[in-house]
Amino acid sequence: MPLLPFFEWLDHTGASDMLRNSQVLYTSIEIIHLLGFALLVGTILIVDAGLLGIGMRRQPVLRIAEGLAPWTWGGFVVMALTGPLLLSSQALKCYHSRVFWTKMALLLLAVIFHFTVHRQAISPDRARIGPIRARLTGGLSLTLWVATAVAAKWVEFA
Amino acid sequence: MSILHFCQWLENTPVGVAVRQSVWLFPIVETTHTVGIALMAGTIAVVDLRLLGFGLRREPVGAVLRQVLPWTWAGVALMFATGALLVSSEAVKLYNSLFFRIKLALLFVAAVNAVIFHWTVYRQAAKWDQASSTPARAKLAGLLSLTCWIGIIAMGRAIGYETK
Repeated sequence: MPLLPFFEWLDHTGASDMLRNSQVLYTSIEIIHLLGFALLVGTILIVDAGLLGIGMRRQPVLRIAEGLAPWTWGGFVVMALTGPLLLSSQALKCYHSRVFWTKMALLLLAVIFHFTVHRQAISPDRARIGPIRARLTGGLSLTLWVATAVAAKWVEFA
Repeated sequence: MSILHFCQWLENTPVGVAVRQSVWLFPIVETTHTVGIALMAGTIAVVDLRLLGFGLRREPVGAVLRQVLPWTWAGVALMFATGALLVSSEAVKLYNSLFFRIKLALLFVAAVNAVIFHWTVYRQAAKWDQASSTPARAKLAGLLSLTCWIGIIAMGRAIGYETK
């Protein structure tokens, strides 16, 4: 696999050594990663709830999504910064872990879905998409993000 | 019966033994507990951030709160159910854990804070609900809640690294 050299390099960076040697540092970064998760998936969940038609009935989904977007992004940035750090401390182990690649594949799918189908479903010019499509979009989005999170947790146990 | 005795009893209940000894049960319950953070803490954080005036300013606080609340309650139910199972599997370890004690204390503070907020400041919400800026006491409640939940998540993660 062409990515192996990258993972080998990641495994030998100064950051990875620091993280491997300090339980406090590793745990702290993991906690920040987890807080980013609460923000990212928590806000997406609220939008998806609107699409699913469970709660959020009085506010148009678009307005909620627009209002929450900065926090969704905030959560995403926090996760994107801390994730590679955590990865660096066990890059080779992850490289050889099927669960890790499952997580990455799910993450990629979730992100692509978020910026294509999901974005379309909440955009103003598509305000009149049918309730079935809205529900499907909300349900699928929720499934992809939760599946990514479950796979992430599973990396620990694998 | 002391709390320690209760913990010893809890650990030896069939449920506690099952969660502890099963290869799959503990990971499944813990994963559900972790993913539930988004449901409970995520939705609470949205309300807290609105109280603090960061974002969603166009939506009345009451509207945000009412619509998010069913999800928060679902999250609470999920977290307490899975949390109780996790506790039962290692009750004595947790009894001796400083992180777990801090977590419980923070949960208590978060709960009291929420109750006080709902019974006092939020009662007069009609007066400030529509404004983009909230009263100082509402901001304080939001800040305290956010701080508690960050601490609760941090302590929860830290417990996982504590040696038995």
